Parts: sequence; structure tokens; C-alpha cells
Amino acid sequence: MVNSNKSALGIIFPNHYDALVPELVSIRNMASIPFASRYRMIDFILSSMVNCDIDNICVPVNTNYHSLMDHLGTGREWDLVRKNGGLHIFPPYAEKSNKVYSGRIGTLANILPFLREQKERFVIMADSSMAVNFDFTKMIDEHIESGADVSIAYREEELPEYLMRTQDNSRGFHYTFTIDKGRINHIYVNPRVTGVQNYSMNIYVLERELLINMVNTAFVRGLEHFNRDVLMNQLSWRNVHAYRFDGYAARITGMKSYFDENLKLLDDYNLNALFEGAPIYTKIRDDNPTRYISGAKVSNVMCADGCVIEGEVENSVLFRGVRIEKGAKVKNCVLMQDTVVGAGADIDYVITDKNVKFGAGKEMKGTDSFPVYVAKGHTV
Amino acid sequence: MAQEMIAMLLAGGQGSRLYALTQKLAKPAVPFGGKYRIIDFPLSNCVNSGIDTVGILTQYQPLVLNEYIGNGQPWDLDRLHGGVHVLPPYQQASGSDWYKGTANAIYQNLSFIERYDPEYVIILSGDQICKQDYSDFLRFHKEKNAEFSVAVMEVPWDEASRFGLMVADENDKITEFQEKPKQPKSNLASMGIYIFNWDILKKYLTEDEADPNSENDFGNNIIPNLLRDNRRMYAYHFSGYWKDVGTIASLWEANMEVLDPEHSGIDLFDENWKIYSRNSGMTGHKISAGAEVENSMITDGCRIKGSVKHSVLFAGVQVEDGAIVEDAVIMGGSVIKSGAVVKHCILAENVTIGENAVIGAMPTEEENGVATVGAGLTVGAGAHIGPKAMIYKNVEGGEEQW
Repeated sequence: MVNSNKSALGIIFPNHYDALVPELVSIRNMASIPFASRYRMIDFILSSMVNCDIDNICVPVNTNYHSLMDHLGTGREWDLVRKNGGLHIFPPYAEKSNKVYSGRIGTLANILPFLREQKERFVIMADSSMAVNFDFTKMIDEHIESGADVSIAYREEELPEYLMRTQDNSRGFHYTFTIDKGRINHIYVNPRVTGVQNYSMNIYVLERELLINMVNTAFVRGLEHFNRDVLMNQLSWRNVHAYRFDGYAARITGMKSYFDENLKLLDDYNLNALFEGAPIYTKIRDDNPTRYISGAKVSNVMCADGCVIEGEVENSVLFRGVRIEKGAKVKNCVLMQDTVVGAGADIDYVITDKNVKFGAGKEMKGTDSFPVYVAKGHTV
Repeated sequence: MAQEMIAMLLAGGQGSRLYALTQKLAKPAVPFGGKYRIIDFPLSNCVNSGIDTVGILTQYQPLVLNEYIGNGQPWDLDRLHGGVHVLPPYQQASGSDWYKGTANAIYQNLSFIERYDPEYVIILSGDQICKQDYSDFLRFHKEKNAEFSVAVMEVPWDEASRFGLMVADENDKITEFQEKPKQPKSNLASMGIYIFNWDILKKYLTEDEADPNSENDFGNNIIPNLLRDNRRMYAYHFSGYWKDVGTIASLWEANMEVLDPEHSGIDLFDENWKIYSRNSGMTGHKISAGAEVENSMITDGCRIKGSVKHSVLFAGVQVEDGAIVEDAVIMGGSVIKSGAVVKHCILAENVTIGENAVIGAMPTEEENGVATVGAGLTVGAGAHIGPKAMIYKNVEGGEEQW
């Protein structure tokens, strides 16, 4: 699609907002957090890009990226094995002069030579902390029509509740803005306001040449954040367009929201809203179908392939290869890959990471407002 | 670069005894076990046994099969050298011909095998459900210093006369071959899986082709000729799960056996011997509140609101409120509308069963047929399909078919 004047290069930031879910990212990053029974967070933005004919995508990884590299592989599952374009993973390039990135500018500065060599007219930048079936073609069309320099997608929603509670800015930045006739006239950083806001989705569209210039200028001045340090100060003379997205979005802003966003998909309305658009691709595990043995009692459950269910499961999301043994009771749980709940065990409001085992008869209960999290590989 | 052993997979069979299921696709492409097609088994066996060059001989209705195989990537058979190749009949300078028989199909592709110059060729059948380690079979073949080996299964003596039988001595050397004999001298049934030394295969196929009276069939011609010449022929005993799913009843039965791996021996959960397939890419399946699921296999994309018992559901099947599914095999994308009752039957892909329709019935003393509905058909609301019915055309609402 390089020949089209709408062609775009995708950049996905896999580590943004890692600090919001420290438990889940101790062995991975935001992009490879398992979500919705068989996906990883990055699958949504990545598939959306591919579905919009964006086939040149780079992922500048920062920390804890082994699990993401394993997940993405060569990019074949997303049809990104290409001679021209395809998937590019950029690990940090260690030099004396640079440190681990703290914002988008440093990350982008690190891949400037790559950006310069590409041919696409536009660049789309996105995070992976949001599961969304996004139509980038529509956004690019609106961007071109608006004549703006930069477009930012937003959604009308309330800010995450943790933001209201924390007193510092150590967990990253959230942006809201006010809009005048489609143009953003004010950007707010970590505002502590209640009610529905124009909450930025951190999806940006701008011309590649413009991005290169902006990053160059900002980097030599020691600026870190694209939005906070660059865009915010240019609103008076730079035309920044607000693109409203009305579709479904599951935004991970903490452990509780991770739990809630998974369980929300048990509602057919939400599930269809997220998946009925274009297909979402993910790594294939070649599991066999899930087997329900006599004695299984299942109600309101989303479940991937490869599970064996012999006990009772209610109101839960099960990832691939989970085993629920005879007489076990699982209620209000999110159980990641290959979790085993032993015979007669009873768990309620629990999130398990991969390969967790509950011995026979064990009990564990969290609450609605505080689901218990069991880290990868632990045996209870 | 020479390969030690390459596989030739016979996948041209029409599977005429599967009637409505094979109207538009070849038998090896028939869906099986919730997310597989029959051909996934020999292909996965190949790659799990270390065979990375496979020629697939197609002839009857190959479109679905061709698309499914693609570049072979799901089975790890997209290789720089070798990999999977679909081999349909083709025109040659000397003329063109359909594959006249199993032996002729291989004969017409001798030049394909020649490109890889293997020491051994394994001939596989694309219409069996079987998990088998071909590398163990090859080990046996080499140990016996055989020129030809055939995999055999012990079958009950009273059923032996339905099979092609190998009579072998205590050293497993084959002394006689009986095709569906009235008086069986052996209960070792040929599985239709052979290993040949490449030079022997080439010699006998070429000779067979020159014989105008030959049926060009491995069982009827090649094996008798090998015996006539006293070649070193051995029978390799296989004792795992093996099923020829040539009929509606056996296909249904094999699917039901998947539900009971502890007794049937077909374990699809084996981490060390995975069966690979092309994936549907759908989201996880969903069991709603009020649904009932018991003793069943359910895969990605299914939406269950009704009751499902002892059944195998393929990707994207919807069972609406109040619908009842029991002892059924329901292939991908089919929809069972609310109140419909679907029992002891096979529904092919993308079938729609209207509200309150009744398909099939649980077997009784005098009636144990498996009702079958062909792909893409619609059965209208309130229609009634009897347990023996084979449905090829849409059925109007309220209509009855037996």
C-alpha cells in the first residue's frame, strides 16, 4: 500500500502503562498480557492495523520483552511476514549516550534511521494497553479531510479510579482534552476530575516527515514525552485534530480493571462489540477442543480450547489448557493458560497467572473489589 | 539433497459411502473431532515422525482440500526443500489421464519422488483416523532388511473376512495375501500403509503400468506381484487407535470415541503427539447462564444457550435457547435455532436448523440410523427429519423426511 497517498506505517508501544499492573508485568510487558481467553493485549491493535492494510509495523520494545517476542514470532499469524514491510521488533540499542526510554521521544529517536528509510506517507502510533477493534482507515480519512497536522483518537469515558487516589505521577500519564470544532485547544495531564471526559486513547496519526522533525527537535532538547512535552505546548499554532471513537474499548488501568474487562466480555453485547468487526488474530497453540466431562456444570463462562472441565464453573474466563478437576468450584475467576484447579478446590474472585496449581480441596477467596492474584507457576 | 523417506498420501478418494458429506469435498477433507479434518492425522503423523516431504495425490473435488492444505504451514510443512505438495493428475507430452488406481496415481508422479531420490517411500491413506509413529515403522522395515512392509492390525477373527489379510510367519515375514477371503487364514488386516524401498516401488509400478490387464491397485496388483517374486515382505504390527471412517456410521462412531479417550484410545490431548490443523481464528467459546453442557467437546467460536450432551461441536456452532443436542456431530458454523431437537446425527458445515425442528432420534432396537444433513442446507422451522434420512436439499418448514 506504499503507493497509495493514504499509506501508513504502524508503531506500537508495548511497554506503555506497564506501571499500572506491576503484578502482571513482572514477567512480561503490557503488550503480552493475556486477555479475553485466548489473546494477548497487542493482538487487538496489531490485527486492527493489518485489517486496515497497514502491513509495515514496528514494535520498539523496552523491557521484559521475551514473552512478547515469543508471542509475535515472525508475525506470521498476523500475515506480517513480508518482503516489503512486515513486522519489525526493535530492542533497545544500548549505547553510552542513551538510557532506557521513559517516553515516546526517546523510543522514537532510537528508531529514527528506520523511520527515515520507510516510504509510507503517514505514521500511526498506538499503545497496547487497550483491546479495541479500531478502524484506522476511517481515522486517516478524517485526518486528511480535517487538514490537521496531527490527529489524536479519544473516547468519551470516565478516568480510571486509581488516578483519583494516587498523589504522584509515577504510574504514567493520562491525557484529556477540550475540543473546539474538532480542534484540540487544551490538553490536561493526569487531571483528577470525575465524570465523562474526552479521554485520549493515545492513538496518533501524522505525516512521517513531520514526526521525524518533531522527534529530532524534541530529542536534542532532552524532552521525553510526545504529548506532555511536545504537542501540549504547540496547540496554539499546530492544528491538532480530535478523532472521536465510539466503539468498544477495554482499557487496562490496573488489576481491578483487568479483572472487570475480562468478565465484561461474558456479556454477549460486549463480546460482539469487540469481536464482530474485523477478525482479531493471535498465536496458534494447536490445542484440541475443550472437553466437558460428565459432572461438569458450567454457567456464563468464556473458555478457550484445550481445557478439561469436570467441576463447576460460573461467571469466569478460562484461557487455553485450564483443567478444572472433579468437584472443584470456580466462581468469578480469570484463569490464565494451563491453570489447574484440583479436585474439590473452591475458588472465588481469583486471577491466576499461567501454570498456577490449586491442590485438591484448597480454598481461596477474593472479593468483588479486590480479586486475589496468584503469580505465574505458583502452587497453592 | 536426498531424503531418507518421503510420504505419498492418497487423497483422491470420493468417499461415496459418506453421501451428503462428500458432495462438494473429498473424503480426506471431511471435518472430524471438533476442529480437525481427516487429513490432519496423516499429515501430523508425518511431521511428528520427522517426515518433511509429502506428496498429496488428489483427484475428486479437490478445491476445499487444496485451500485447506495451502502451503502446509499449519503442519510445519512449509519447507525450503521438500514440504507438502498437492499432486493432481496432469497432462504429459504422451497424453493425459485421470488416476486409474492407487498404484497408477503414484506411477504418474514417479518423477516427483525422483526429485528427492529417497531410500524409502511410505504410502499413506488419506481417509483413516490414526495416530502412528512412522519412524518406528521405518525402524522395523530397516531391521528386517525388508523391501516392502505393510502396517497391520489384529482384527477379531469373525470380522477378518471384511479385510485384506496378511498371512505372516513367526518372523513377521509375509507368506500370503488374502483379499476379503471367505476362509481367513490370518487376522492381520492391512491398514493400507506401506513402506517400499524406492527402487522396488519404481520397478513394480513401471511393470504394473505396462500390464494392460492390471487394475493398477496396490492391494490387487502390486502386492500379489511382490509375493510372486518372493520379495522380502514383512508385516509391521500396529496396536494403537485406527479407524477407517468410510461410512456415516463409522464416522459418527469415531467422533463419539473422541469423547471417551480413556476407553477408545484416541487421545487428542497428547502433548507429545499433537494433531495440527488450520485454525478457525475465532474467539473462545461461550456457555451462557442456563445452558447445559455435559460430556462434550466444544471449540472456539461456539455459543451455547441450550442443552448439549455427549456431542462434538465444531468452530462457530450456535445452539440457541431451549434447543437440545444429544449424541450429535455438528460441524463448523451450523446454527441450531431455539426449541430444535437434534439427536444421534451428523450435521455438515453451515447448516441451519429452524425453530422446533426435529433431526434424528436416539437409536432403538429396530432403528439405529444416523441422520445426516449436507453442508450449507437449511431445515425449516418445525420440520421433522427421521433417523435414516440423508438430506441433500433444503427442507421446507413443517416438512417430514424419513
